[in-house]
Amino acid sequence: MKPKLIAQLLLHIITGLLIFLPVQQSAAQEKDDNYGKTPSEMLPYGNYQDAYIYHFHEPQLFLGAGREKKAPSGLTEVRIGVLAPLAGNVMSPQGNQLLQGAMLATEEANVRGGYKGLLFKVMPHNDVGLWGAAANEVVKMSDEGAWAILGTIDDVNSHVAIRVALKLEIPVVNCGDPDPTFTETGIPWVIRVIGDDRQSSYALVDYIHHQQGHKRVAVLRANNRYGRVGVMEFRDAALRIGYPLVLEVRYDEGETTYDAQLERVKNSNPDAVLLWGNALEMGLIVNQMKQMGMDYPIYASDRSVNPQFLEIAGKNANGIITTCQYNPKGDSPKLKAFQANYKKRFDQEPDVFAAHAYDGMNLIIESIHMVGLNKALIRDKLTDLKTFQGYEGVTGEIILDASWADIGPIWMAEIKEGDYIFSPASWKWK
Amino acid sequence: MKKTLIITGLFMFIPMLLMASEPEKKSSTMPEYGKWETFTTKDGLPANKIFCVRADGDRVWIGTSHGLVLYENDEFKTFTVEDGLAHPGVLSIDVSELTGDVWIGTLGGMNRFSAGEFETFTQFNSGLANDVIYSVVCDREHVWCATGGGAGHYDTYKEEWAIYTERNAPMHEPWTYGVCAGDNKVWIAAWGGGVIEYQYESGNFRDYIDPDGEMEIDLFPDDGVVHDITTAVSHANGILWVATYFGMSRYDGNHWKGYFDHDSGLASNFINFLKAKDDVVYLCTDEGLSTFNSEEWVSYKKTAMGGERLYWKDGESSTKSDPTGIAHSFTIGVDLQGDDTIWVATSYGLSRGTRIN
Repeated sequence: MKPKLIAQLLLHIITGLLIFLPVQQSAAQEKDDNYGKTPSEMLPYGNYQDAYIYHFHEPQLFLGAGREKKAPSGLTEVRIGVLAPLAGNVMSPQGNQLLQGAMLATEEANVRGGYKGLLFKVMPHNDVGLWGAAANEVVKMSDEGAWAILGTIDDVNSHVAIRVALKLEIPVVNCGDPDPTFTETGIPWVIRVIGDDRQSSYALVDYIHHQQGHKRVAVLRANNRYGRVGVMEFRDAALRIGYPLVLEVRYDEGETTYDAQLERVKNSNPDAVLLWGNALEMGLIVNQMKQMGMDYPIYASDRSVNPQFLEIAGKNANGIITTCQYNPKGDSPKLKAFQANYKKRFDQEPDVFAAHAYDGMNLIIESIHMVGLNKALIRDKLTDLKTFQGYEGVTGEIILDASWADIGPIWMAEIKEGDYIFSPASWKWK
Repeated sequence: MKKTLIITGLFMFIPMLLMASEPEKKSSTMPEYGKWETFTTKDGLPANKIFCVRADGDRVWIGTSHGLVLYENDEFKTFTVEDGLAHPGVLSIDVSELTGDVWIGTLGGMNRFSAGEFETFTQFNSGLANDVIYSVVCDREHVWCATGGGAGHYDTYKEEWAIYTERNAPMHEPWTYGVCAGDNKVWIAAWGGGVIEYQYESGNFRDYIDPDGEMEIDLFPDDGVVHDITTAVSHANGILWVATYFGMSRYDGNHWKGYFDHDSGLASNFINFLKAKDDVVYLCTDEGLSTFNSEEWVSYKKTAMGGERLYWKDGESSTKSDPTGIAHSFTIGVDLQGDDTIWVATSYGLSRGTRIN
C-alpha cells in the first residue's frame, strides 16, 4: 500500500473516531445503568440524540427540618393511614383486599407486642367520593395523627395523595398503583413496592415481539388514566424496536358491547391484540372477540390476573398471556404462611393488592421499630436504598431504583384451563 | 465554492440564532439581602413550619402549619380554626388590591378574611374544586386558586365559580399547584401538565409543556418548560417564570430558557416556589433561596456560622459569608415588602432580610 494511501486511511479512521467516540462514550454511560431498567434500544431518543439531562439516577434527598421532633407523649396507639377505593368504585373489591393485607400485617405486629407496647392501628380512608377526595383524605389522616400512609390503587388518586403528603411531610408507601409517572414526580416522601407498567410493558414487548415474533399489534384499552398511561410505555417501547402499534382504540368503563372497537381492530389486520383495562371489561371483550370469530393471540394487562376475569371469560381466557408483579404460586415459606393466615383471617384468597399491601405495611412497621415515631426519620429509613433494598417480602424481592420505584422481577402469567401459570419474565434484549 | 459559502453562512447564522434565544441582558442592580432575622415559636409564631408569607403594606401575613399569623407593629397575632380559619395548615395567601380582602388557601378550604371576619369556602358550600388549596391569587375582581382537583375561578362581582380541569381545559391532568396573573392573563402550574395560560379576552386556554414528552429526561433545555411537573408560576415585566422539581424555566413570550443547578447559579433543581418582582425572580429551593435577574444569580444559604451568599455570573462563582443567614436552607415561600425588605418562609422558621446594596 502506498504511504499516501495509508496516511489517508489513518486520517479517515482518526476522523471517524473523533466523530463517533463521544457518542459511544455517552451511550455506554447510559447502558450500564439506564433508568427503570430500560433496555438501551428503548431509551427515549436514544438512537438519535443524547438528552441534556437524565433524571432519576440519584435519589432526591429531603433537606427540610423535622428530624429533631420528639414523639408526642400520651400516645395510646400508633396510627397508620390506609388509602384505597373501599366503596363505590369498580375497584372496591381490590381496595378492600389492600386494606385487609395491611390489617393482617399490623395485627401480626401487634401480636409481637406492637411498638414499645403501643398497638398499631390502621386508619382506613376511602379515596372514592368527591372530586379530588384523596387530597382531603390525606389531610384527614394527617390530622388523625397517622405516621405514614399506605395506598392506593387508582393512579389519579395516588398522584393527588402524594402532593398533599409532600406538603404535610408524611411518608407514603404505595402498593397498588403501577403508573410509571407516580414516582417520576421527584417527591422524596414516596416509595412504591409494586412493579410498574414500565416493567410490565418491557416484559410484554419482549415476549410479544421478540419471543413470539408478532409484528402488528392492535391495542384495545380503557379510556381512563390506567389505560392511557399503561399503554404509553408499551407503545413507546414497541415503537423504539420497530413495531409501531397498528391501532389503539379505547372504550369507556361500564361499556358492555364493543362491536365498533372490535370491527376497527379486525380492519387493522393485526397479528395479536393487547387489552389494557379492568378485569370486568377485558373479560367481556374476550368473549365478544370469540363470538366475532377473532382468533388473534390475546395479551392483557396485569389487572386480568383476577378471579373476576376468569369467571367472565371462562374457557375463552385460555391461552391469554399477561404479566403479574409477583408469583402467587411461589414456594417461599413466607408467602405460603401469608396466604394461609390471610385465608384464615378473611376467608378469602389474597390478591396482588393484598400481598403488596402486606409487604408495604411491614416496611412501615419495621421502619418505625428502627427509628421511632418521627415522620422524617421513617422517610429516611424507607428511602435510604440500603435498609430495605432486596427485602424479601411475600411478593418476592423488592428492589427500588433511585426514584423509589420497584424494579424487582416481573412475572408472565399464561391462562391454562382456568388457572394462571406463572413464569419469570426473561428479557432478551439485543 | 458553493459549499464554502454555505458552511461560512451556517457558521455566521448559528451564533446569531443562539444569540436570539439568549434572554435580554438586564442592567438593573441585583438586589442583595443581609442582616437576617429569624422568627420561630420562641418569638410568638404558632409553629416553625412556615408555608407562605405575603406582605401587605406594613403588615405581613404568614401561613404556618398551625395557623394564620398577622405580623403588625412588631407583634404576631395568630388566627386558628376557632377564629374561623378553614384549616390550621395555611398554604397560600394573597391580598386583593381592589378590596383589601385577604384570601387564604388552606389544607381544608379557602377563607376570605374581610372586615375582621372569616368566610369559608369548601367543596360543600361553593364551586371549589377541592379543599386542598395550594395557591391563591387575586386579580382585580377575580380570585383564582390551584387545588388538588383542578383550578378554580371565583368572580367576586358575580359571585360565580368555575372549575377548570382536563375536561374543559388543555390540561393533561386535573391537578394544579400554582397560579399567577398579569397582562390580562392567568397562568396555572398544572402538575404533570406543564403550564396552562388563560386569556380573559378570548376565554381561551393554551398549554405549554415539555416538548420531549418524557418524564425521565430533558432532551433540550430551551425548547419549552423543562419538566411537566410544575410547582409554581410567577409573571412580572413580561416574563413568565416557571418552577419545577427539575429546574426552572423562563419564557419571554417568544423563547423558553431552562436553568439548572449545574449550569447556572440556581441553588437546587428542587424548587418549592418562586415569585417575580420587576426584573428579579426569587426562588425557594430545598438548598437555599436563589435570586436571578436574567443575568446574575445570588443565592442565600444557612450555615453553621450564620449564612452565606453565593454569586454566579457567566459561569464564574464566588461566596461571601454572612454572620446572619436565613432560618433554614429548605425554603418554601418568599415575598418582598417595599424595596428593602424580604420575607422568607422556611422549613424551620420565618426570616426577614434587609437590602444591603
